[in-house]
Amino acid sequence: MPVNRQSTASAARTLDRPTGFRNPWFQFVLNIIGVVIYELLLKAGASATADSAKTWSWIGINALTSPLTWLAIVVIIVDLVIWLYILRYIPLSIAFPLSRTVDVLVPISCWLILRETISPLRWAGIALVIVGLIIVAKPAAELEERL
Amino acid sequence: MTWIALIFILVWLATFVAGQLLFKKAMDLSSAVGFRSPRTIFALSAGILVMTISFCLNLGLLQRFDLSYLYPFQGSSIIIIAVLAAIILKEKLTPRLIVGTLLIAAGVVLVSMS
Repeated sequence: MPVNRQSTASAARTLDRPTGFRNPWFQFVLNIIGVVIYELLLKAGASATADSAKTWSWIGINALTSPLTWLAIVVIIVDLVIWLYILRYIPLSIAFPLSRTVDVLVPISCWLILRETISPLRWAGIALVIVGLIIVAKPAAELEERL
Repeated sequence: MTWIALIFILVWLATFVAGQLLFKKAMDLSSAVGFRSPRTIFALSAGILVMTISFCLNLGLLQRFDLSYLYPFQGSSIIIIAVLAAIILKEKLTPRLIVGTLLIAAGVVLVSMS
């Protein structure tokens, strides 16, 4: 869709919005996939090394003994670079709420892949997030129009 | 939840929110005054520093609580970030954006409650 609009845009506009791989919305999708991966890795790494008896473990340092945590850190760094790139083009008040797409993707992928059950209350929450995302996506589309 | 848990959760949230605002500020500066400007580098470095603190606190919290317990707090950060982006970064917050943001935050809390 953005490609179609791109072809009708003026030459000056073409400079403003990168297309293809550099399209900020494409990078947005990559960023969200990265968040889902590192959240699960972090939880796995932190759980594997949990030792809550020690007070200093509040700062989380002992989780660094797990290779899963380090794998998560690599994904986080790549994701951070992508996120910074996105922020060059999209206002934070739009980008951040939209980035919470992960909050529906994680439970839904648990349901689809891991066959976990989702309670009615959780489905209601997922529905609320989706409605909210659609509402926020409208200003995002208008922003795209202006670019 | 003990008082120490509450303090760590609040500091985790505050550093996370501050990091996001600093990142956006750095990217705005990079467009305005360039990537090599000291102001851009300062905002970016400060953002990475507070995000690193936030990350470590998050690990400490994940060792004590379920991800689903910590999620509602993350949900509230959506509202805080949108409001502060409007106040500090002067982004335009339309009624539509506010309604959408509130719905997402409410949905995140519901998902983690169940």
